[in-house]
Amino acid sequence: MRHGLIQWRENELSLADVKARQARLQQAIAAAGLDGVLIYTNHVRSAGVTWVSGFTPYWSDGLVLVLREGLPIFLTALSKRVGEWVKSVAPTFEVAHSPFPGKLAGERLARVGAKRLGVVELDRMPGGVVDEILSILPVELSDVTDLFTAVRGQADRAELDLVRHTDTIAREAFKAGDVASKSAGDFTGPVERAVRLAGAEECYVAVAPDLSRDRRFIRTGRAELGRTFAVRLSVAYNGVWVRRVDTFSSVSEIGARLSSVSAALDRASPAHPVDGSISAFYLPDGARLLDWHIEAPYGTRPLKVVADAETPLAAPVPYAILTTAFSLDGETIVASRPVGLGDISLREAAE
Amino acid sequence: MIGEIRKKRLVEAMLEAGLDGLVLYGNAWQNDYLRYAADFGILEGEGLAVVTRDGDVTLYLDDELEGERAAVECPEVKTVIADDLVGTVSGVVARLGNSRIAAGPKRHLPYGLAARRGDLRFEDATALVDRLLMVKSADELNAVRSAARLADEGYAVFRNAAAAGKKDYELIAEIESFFRNEGVDDNFMIIGVGGPEVRGMAPPLGKVLKPGDLVTTELTPCVNGYYVQICRTLVIGEPNEAQRKVFGIYNDALEAGLAVVRPGVTAADIARAENDIFRAHGLGEYVTSEYTRVRGHGLGLFPDTKPHILEDVTTVIEEGMSLIVHPNTYNPEIGYFVHGDSLIVRADGPEILTKTPRELFSVGVRRAAA
Repeated sequence: MRHGLIQWRENELSLADVKARQARLQQAIAAAGLDGVLIYTNHVRSAGVTWVSGFTPYWSDGLVLVLREGLPIFLTALSKRVGEWVKSVAPTFEVAHSPFPGKLAGERLARVGAKRLGVVELDRMPGGVVDEILSILPVELSDVTDLFTAVRGQADRAELDLVRHTDTIAREAFKAGDVASKSAGDFTGPVERAVRLAGAEECYVAVAPDLSRDRRFIRTGRAELGRTFAVRLSVAYNGVWVRRVDTFSSVSEIGARLSSVSAALDRASPAHPVDGSISAFYLPDGARLLDWHIEAPYGTRPLKVVADAETPLAAPVPYAILTTAFSLDGETIVASRPVGLGDISLREAAE
Repeated sequence: MIGEIRKKRLVEAMLEAGLDGLVLYGNAWQNDYLRYAADFGILEGEGLAVVTRDGDVTLYLDDELEGERAAVECPEVKTVIADDLVGTVSGVVARLGNSRIAAGPKRHLPYGLAARRGDLRFEDATALVDRLLMVKSADELNAVRSAARLADEGYAVFRNAAAAGKKDYELIAEIESFFRNEGVDDNFMIIGVGGPEVRGMAPPLGKVLKPGDLVTTELTPCVNGYYVQICRTLVIGEPNEAQRKVFGIYNDALEAGLAVVRPGVTAADIARAENDIFRAHGLGEYVTSEYTRVRGHGLGLFPDTKPHILEDVTTVIEEGMSLIVHPNTYNPEIGYFVHGDSLIVRADGPEILTKTPRELFSVGVRRAAA
């Protein structure tokens, strides 16, 4: 459940920023000959609606209906009392309530004489919602995940600035962790506290407790920490998700080397291109790459693996998180950083 | 192992219902069905568990990182990472042929899964699984009891952190840090800060606590998958007369609700007992859906499971259920107010789980300056 700070911050993501996104989607809707697009949201599959409205539900679910013209409509079974909260944190759409939001969508579509409705991730839409829509209006449904991905793949300045800010929250929060901690929870408790004190909307922590044995991440706070361990922070801030992994050691010489590697990655990552590859110059001298993957916002997913050594990047993404595992001086190191945050004006010109 | 016990109950229920297979959906918001079968606490993406009548469980996850975690955290369950979750599981179901397969929860089942099943259709597994979720085994109830201790300790942390000048989200930071230290992986929590203008709880809005404010919260830590909730209200500074008077009404309503709990009564009976107290004080309007959602609810692998405690819910309360009774609602004099305790239904009545005193807590304003 999302329970960090959620508020509308006009200085970070303005109404104009969101309206520009809505306009781009509406142009694509018209160009595709559709009457509208429907996007599902809950706090796990929030990214599509967050991008088009700035809103993330803290629990329960809802739909956003984007018609060719006018304000998008947030359709929800949440009560009108919660609706007041929704409006206070997202003044970007109309909020409509019904115990059956699918029926309400059908009614709104009928009102504009809709015949063709695109649905982002149609296969994943809760079946009951689709049944409700069709019970009101026998509209033709089609999957528009590719259309949405193409529109959403274009970065905007507000989003990239938020990615940088969120990564800074994570980087600073790691300073609160005590590398001499005995258990994972002892290290991650103060780190999560720091993330939330910085105003994060959500924070998930996972730990690879002993990299000499296993570099897979788990959530249990009871795990005993080994000589080197990695911590994964997944931080949401104002609708943007960033993952940051750093590797730590209680042995001071190793810890100092790890800090130096981390700082070098911080310098190299923002400008690293998001083209589905990893540059030979990205890792420190002498490092041997073990594994890598790239995550990015995709459809309704805040972050999803979109490329790795075997799978090329299929579509442009607005930004990405590059995770690498490599060995250096006999130690296994895991690191994640946002990439593709280079000069926005250059990216806009290229696009 | 609790996961094995649940799986055994699930398969027994399937056999009793004559089912050959079950398909159970889950995500981090509504994970109870999936976790019942696969014992995995999913956090990102979505999952489907396929259970066959011989007790074989396969967990399909669309998120690679979650797949990696599942392989470590629940190695006894076969995990498959499937980017095309619906397509993959549809293929598995198709190979089961023309057998009786049920799926749930009905409301969340992906459209593509049902569409590809076509005329064969899924039977609705919702009632079958809901019953297992509501009436728990002895081992499950022990897990619930463990979570209750942390709910009480968590509220003590919350109370100690509350002070004038602090921001609402800073309280959440203290709680979450405490829970991570204690190995609690999840917590459902909402908060309200202020006076008569506050009509409910939500995630923090960045409000600064000031003298006279009511600070309401629901804390719901999750231990080994099981949630327990506590609802309390505190005042920054000394409570005023109206706040004391209203607290008395909510405390009476909570005690009235708890007094009714025993096997054989209905959820409606509990709600009615709570609401009658409000009606006796001329506050009947404030127990309607315009001002409040439920008067309590079930607890377990989901923080807001069935039965919902409402005057129109006729679900019979049974031994082995775990519930929270909470007469939370808006009060026109002082604002939204919460007060509730979790319990296990035993043959002789409720076993109250949360031990935090039923008080209107006062947080000294002077502590704030410190």
